[in-house]
Amino acid sequence: MEIDVTKPSSCGGVARRLGAIGAVAAAVALALAWTAKPAAAAAPDAQCLTCHSMPGLEMPLPNGEKLTLTIPTDTFEHSIHSPLGCTGCHTDISLPAHPAAMPVIKSRREFSLKMVQVCQTCHTQQSKEWQTSVHAALIREGNTVAPVCTNCHSPHAVQKGVAEAIDTVPCKICHANIFTAYSGSVHGMLRSGGVTQAPLCFNCHGAHAVRVPSAVQDLKDTCLNCHTDAVQAHSTWLPNVALHFNVVSCPACHVPNAHRRVDLMLYDATSQKVLPQPEGIPEFQSPDGSSMTARPGLDPQTLFNLLRSLNRPGTPDKTVIQGRLEVSTAIEAHQIVPASAAISDCATCHRAGANPFQSVVVSVAGPAGIPIRYGASKDVLTSAFSVPSIGGFYAIGGTRITILDAIAALGLVCGIGFGAGHGGLRIFFWYLRKHTQHTQTKG
Amino acid sequence: MQRVYIHALPVRIWHWTNALSCVLLALTGIQIRYIGMINVVPFRIAVMAHNVIGFIIIANFFLWLFYYLTSPKIRNYLPTLHWGRFFQDAMRQSLFYAFGVFKGEPNPHHVSMYHQFNPLQQVTYQIIMLVVLPIQGLTGVLLWNLTGFAGIVDLLGGVRVVDTVHVLIFALFLFFIPFHAYLASMGHTPLADFKAMWTGYEDLEEDERADGAE
Repeated sequence: MEIDVTKPSSCGGVARRLGAIGAVAAAVALALAWTAKPAAAAAPDAQCLTCHSMPGLEMPLPNGEKLTLTIPTDTFEHSIHSPLGCTGCHTDISLPAHPAAMPVIKSRREFSLKMVQVCQTCHTQQSKEWQTSVHAALIREGNTVAPVCTNCHSPHAVQKGVAEAIDTVPCKICHANIFTAYSGSVHGMLRSGGVTQAPLCFNCHGAHAVRVPSAVQDLKDTCLNCHTDAVQAHSTWLPNVALHFNVVSCPACHVPNAHRRVDLMLYDATSQKVLPQPEGIPEFQSPDGSSMTARPGLDPQTLFNLLRSLNRPGTPDKTVIQGRLEVSTAIEAHQIVPASAAISDCATCHRAGANPFQSVVVSVAGPAGIPIRYGASKDVLTSAFSVPSIGGFYAIGGTRITILDAIAALGLVCGIGFGAGHGGLRIFFWYLRKHTQHTQTKG
Repeated sequence: MQRVYIHALPVRIWHWTNALSCVLLALTGIQIRYIGMINVVPFRIAVMAHNVIGFIIIANFFLWLFYYLTSPKIRNYLPTLHWGRFFQDAMRQSLFYAFGVFKGEPNPHHVSMYHQFNPLQQVTYQIIMLVVLPIQGLTGVLLWNLTGFAGIVDLLGGVRVVDTVHVLIFALFLFFIPFHAYLASMGHTPLADFKAMWTGYEDLEEDERADGAE
């Protein structure tokens, strides 16, 4: 059943028809309706639910969508919002004029955004946190699918703890692939097994102030919040633990089958923040602002020139590059394995041609703090240009500068060659002198 | 032949510790840098050994510095301040290495307790011991604990600058170690200088006695 608010029909028409049949019939109908519902339903709610409990009740919207108006009575009455009653949230609805006086709802999205205002009247703190989230930032940038309150918390069915349970956590509605990856991870399996200390989405990403760990520098801190002994545990076998923790993301080792890459972030040395997309530099312009990892990568000299351009004389802030080893996709980042299966062989990274250094991106901060990544040639890590341009990121063996190998080889060859050449000549002339003396003696 | 005591025990201990450490540092450095191509010892062991030997050579450097700063033998490293004579001696030594040695001419430099090095050695060893080795030690310590010394590393231009300097000096040592060993074979017999550095005593030929008995 659909409701068109532009025509005085549907639910309002039904009521009027019920009125026309007579008060007795209406009373019987109401009594029947109330009998079928739990006693908790207050009178005004019951009045609303008379119509809104009808299955298939929908309202067509101008954009062609349909707004579902059915409120399953049982569900609502078991929700923690039930005591508020319908009018607790739907304050703009005047019952006598409803539904004819309903304001025009252009789209479901518009309705959801409008209802955010309602939610924040009670959930002030959560609303403030949400305003700082990547979801809110995306919406401010015009994103039309980033979630608002009602996308995660079905307002008529909201129950305490539902959003915190692995079976009902709302994140998986949009992030299904990531959730599948998580479910197979050591975290997901432990959580499924009832270990509530194992993290669910919100434990790492926040519940309302949702953030993208890869977009911030405290990714490792997210892990260390629970794994408080991680530094100590790694220091028993890993040299330069602090450095490794700074430049290697946890999943880079703890998701052994992932595709790894180097993320070279353009950084403001003063503010210690990732730079936003630089203006006026062609290499950092994309028509749609999307990632351009698929484009031919920045070569070493171009990257060097870019840094020079960003740090040209007169520029107040110094731009530097900070590198980090990470996994290539968000899905892979959630496939954490038990520590015993993590990579612990140093040669995985510290050898020439190591897999993690075959893929390189240069990233800046996107509109919502989500990195925008630009493809770069892997040679940016091994070229002599890397010394001035990406001086802060280096992995022994893995990103060694090729020309230095040639210089070292030249040093060894010259060192041995000098002795061999000079010594050979000494022996030759010594033999010649002996031969001459011998000849002269004989003569 | 006359035997003259040239190399005191502390110098000989320092020298062979230094020599062994340099060779081991080069070998472990090669293993660290070229893991995958060379797999003699595991990376982790190579790093650990490189670090330990690095600190040994740094400690050895300070022992050397203390010894020579408190000993009259420091004169061995000090070139004459008479630059004309220094240049003349350096040229004579260069010509010996370039031509004289092939003709069987005697080495123009005569060793003694306080005159062990010819002018070329004096300059070379001063550069090695007072410039190259300290820089290599410093860059090595910075690379050993990049986080702890992050401020200095950043001041120097980043880890790649530090590493590049470390590797360039490593390349220099790859040249210097065999070069030095070869030049040590240019005594009056190929093994004479090696024996002298081991026993402390140098066998002087007839024409060297006057100087050697100083």
